[in-house]
Amino acid sequence: MRLNRVGPGHRSLSVALVAFCVVALLVSVPIPGKATASLQPSAVQPAATSTYAVTWNGVDVSTAGTSSSALAIDFSQSANLNFTWSGTSAPVTISDARLQMYYFGFAVSTRDQIVSNPPTNSIGHIPLSWTPLSINYLLEGVYRLTASFIAPNGTTMYSENFYVRGNAPLGFVAVIPIVLLLIVVYELYGLVRSGRYAAFGRKSAGPPPSSPPPTSETETPAGESPPPEEPGAGTPPPSGGGS
Amino acid sequence: MSATSHGVGCGVVLGIVIVIFLQQVAYLDLSDLVPALEYLVIGAVVGGLLGAGIGWLLGRSYLSRHPTGETAAPK
Repeated sequence: MRLNRVGPGHRSLSVALVAFCVVALLVSVPIPGKATASLQPSAVQPAATSTYAVTWNGVDVSTAGTSSSALAIDFSQSANLNFTWSGTSAPVTISDARLQMYYFGFAVSTRDQIVSNPPTNSIGHIPLSWTPLSINYLLEGVYRLTASFIAPNGTTMYSENFYVRGNAPLGFVAVIPIVLLLIVVYELYGLVRSGRYAAFGRKSAGPPPSSPPPTSETETPAGESPPPEEPGAGTPPPSGGGS
Repeated sequence: MSATSHGVGCGVVLGIVIVIFLQQVAYLDLSDLVPALEYLVIGAVVGGLLGAGIGWLLGRSYLSRHPTGETAAPK
């Protein structure tokens, strides 16, 4: 194998480097309590006397604050959300109810319900209907959503994080899981066949291949190389320039 | 390319893909960037190490079953 050519110093250095990387990664893994605590609080705290609430098909989304208690939804069905606020000490103006879905920290889907000429009230609600048809056949799994109350000046008055577990149509017809499964199968096949590459490594460690052995006349087919002594016996005459 | 390095390549890809697949089947939450990247890096490292070991073992097994290249003197 090719590793046989690597000196012991290089090998120990590479092993030490890999061990250092593994230890550094394992140390940097957040503890579960710390990880869940960073997901729980909302981005903006409401006023002390105000009450903001968001319901998803009649279910309060505050009950789905963790990924383990995610709302089971169907990406092919529309969801009716209701953004309500009440009991605010001072009347507030909410001009936009926003729903965002996050994947790898980026918003992959955003739905806004903008209210034209929003009234200033201490009580109000904004209905929002969201049908994630664009990701219906693409994604499934657990995702974090953020429901936000936006003021006319762009200030987020209140936002709440919650989790949904989206199911693909028929339970499995989504592009990304199928593609991932195909990649897994292909790489497993490549891993199983990786032993054959040891032969290549051994060949490259050896001397370069010598010139091919001379072929005997008995092995050469008769039609491929006509003997020079009989130029006109077995070969057709040259065609010349005639048309 | 040796069997070990080929196993490392396959293992790294497998580790990353399995992490993303676990999110798709609702075993992991990759909504936030920082834990998602940590999961991916850990999956790649663990997969690479396992792939290296598997590739090395399979390479030895293959060479024991196909003793070709006698010109390379084993140490």
